Amino acid sequence: MSSGIVRQALRRNPWAFLGPAATQALAAALVTTGLCAVASLSGAPLTAAQRATMAADGVADMGIVFLVASIYLSILVVGVTMGTAIADQGRDLALFRTVGATPRRVRRAIAAQAAIVAIPATVVGVPLGLLFGSAWVGGLVGHGIVPAEVTFRVHGGVVPITFAATIGTSLLGALIAAIRPSRLRPAMALTEAAVPRRGRVRTPIGLLLVAGGVTLSVLISDASAETADNAGLFVMLAMCFGMGMLGPVLLRLAAPVARLFGPVGRIAADNVVARRRSLSGALVPLTLAVGFAAFTIVIGSTTEKVTGVAMTPADRWLTYAGTGVYAAFAAVAAVNTLITVMQARRQDLAVVRLVGGTRGHTLRVVICEALVVTATALAAGSAVAAATMLPLLHTALGVWQPYVPPSFLVGGVLGTAALVLAGLALPAAAMLRRPPIEVVG
Amino acid sequence: MESVISLASVSRRYPRGVLALREVSLDVPPGQFVAVMGATGSGKSTLLHCAAGLDRPTGGRVRLAGHDITGMREKQRTRLRRDHAGFVFQAYNLLSELTVRQNVALPVRLGGPRNRTVDEVLAQVGLAGFGKRPVGELSGGQRQRVAIARALVTAPSAVFADEPTGALDPTTGAMILGLLRAAADRDGAAVLMVTHDPAAAAWSDRLVLLRDGVIAHDGAAPDAREIADRLRGVSAVAA
Repeated sequence: MSSGIVRQALRRNPWAFLGPAATQALAAALVTTGLCAVASLSGAPLTAAQRATMAADGVADMGIVFLVASIYLSILVVGVTMGTAIADQGRDLALFRTVGATPRRVRRAIAAQAAIVAIPATVVGVPLGLLFGSAWVGGLVGHGIVPAEVTFRVHGGVVPITFAATIGTSLLGALIAAIRPSRLRPAMALTEAAVPRRGRVRTPIGLLLVAGGVTLSVLISDASAETADNAGLFVMLAMCFGMGMLGPVLLRLAAPVARLFGPVGRIAADNVVARRRSLSGALVPLTLAVGFAAFTIVIGSTTEKVTGVAMTPADRWLTYAGTGVYAAFAAVAAVNTLITVMQARRQDLAVVRLVGGTRGHTLRVVICEALVVTATALAAGSAVAAATMLPLLHTALGVWQPYVPPSFLVGGVLGTAALVLAGLALPAAAMLRRPPIEVVG
Repeated sequence: MESVISLASVSRRYPRGVLALREVSLDVPPGQFVAVMGATGSGKSTLLHCAAGLDRPTGGRVRLAGHDITGMREKQRTRLRRDHAGFVFQAYNLLSELTVRQNVALPVRLGGPRNRTVDEVLAQVGLAGFGKRPVGELSGGQRQRVAIARALVTAPSAVFADEPTGALDPTTGAMILGLLRAAADRDGAAVLMVTHDPAAAAWSDRLVLLRDGVIAHDGAAPDAREIADRLRGVSAVAA
């Protein structure tokens, strides 16, 4: 019975498992990188003085920070993507429950799906991690951040530890996601769940957090540089959480922009408004990535421009490598969510085609939606970065105007758009290959 | 008068060799309401899909609203469907997250002819004032009326209905059939309906019985009791 559930789930919707698989592969790569970084740093023939310098610079713990962060993010993202994939199987699971599968069996089947996805993902991720790790250590040495005696070493336990980490996190995430569907009474799950949930507190809390963040940002603009530096973290936290809470509202506000693209845009605008909740699941990581990257890069570039002193290559390298890793994980999370959102809509796309939308029409609707999500993420991310950055610039450098390097601006906009299109338009294009009547059958 | 729906010796063979339709010919003039019946697997859904340009026959020719769609590319066929055909399905096939008005306006927004206003067709199906309601909150009968409004908004020359009353109680079903009847009588559309239900078929002008992919009977629609008897006869021979 369990294997029947697993087979049905994997066959019916292989795309939905691409998200968890991609996160697992990236998590495996990061765990491998972390392990090898730890092995390379601790295994290097260094003097006590060299080790003390590394510890003082915070470089010594870098491998461990990497490990912990990748495991933590992996639980979160795999939990979210498995949750969406499983919500999509609701009707099938209800059917299995009606014909006699116990909640325990359903949970076991969902856990099995997670493990089946994790194994190939890890096989792909480990070699990727060895490449990352070797590049990382090479970068550290090349920029003089660690002594030249440090060489790349493969941690002895890479294979068993990585497998344990990915399968473990995957199981944990999936089992949490499985609690609801396994408990659902079959009769309830079989009737169409059409009553929309309404969040009454979400928007007020979001507004409060954003207002608090902006107020704090204004208040610390005239404080000492040190106070501003310390309080800056809270501005960022308040703005990030606030924007996350406001996700659905922001999408609703941004949706009318799509109407500029004519009748097809109007369909897209209606879709974004109707699906603002599930889309905001992707908006949050995108906003964080845009906000964080803009903050780190623009602070650096403005400081260079105002003081006329260039960052040392080592500092620049650490900043960019850290931002890059963080943004990559957020990007994977966003693309995962978008793919699962799109996946749940294959029926809707088929309906649009049945009533007379050509493939091109239908794809254009999806692209319009992607543009709305991109614009919203860029605006929200810029707001987060601005609120956090402006007081710091004013107190430390005495300027209000940040310097945004044009290459970063162009790269950021194109990069975000590429991510959203990859998450929405690619799976849509793939789904449109099947005749619509087969899909709605 | 020229037929709106025209099939000439249409066959459909599926990849694994199953022959769902064998040289079926059928012509439906404007204003005629045709019911297609037959046992499960008799090919009636395949017939509807081929006639509507949703599926490609492996033999024969299909014409819809005066256009030969047999060799048409997918894009052209989709446009022709949009401009000349309306669809009603057993499973409604609406966009459940959108409102009634947004669903009904869909064919026009996709570039279809704006022959009738959304308010006009909503009033015709008895849903005036429901425009802003999310489809997810409606009952089955109301959803099927939204689907009919969406099918009629372009004033199509052909309406295709696949088990339109299959998921509804008899009273609600009768209302839906009355709307399809009106589409034929008042709007002059050719209506092709696939159904299992003799009572539904009794609303039609003409009854086509399919058996093993061949038309076993084609004539004026008698009353429900006689339809049921004929259906039993056809199924018994098939079994």
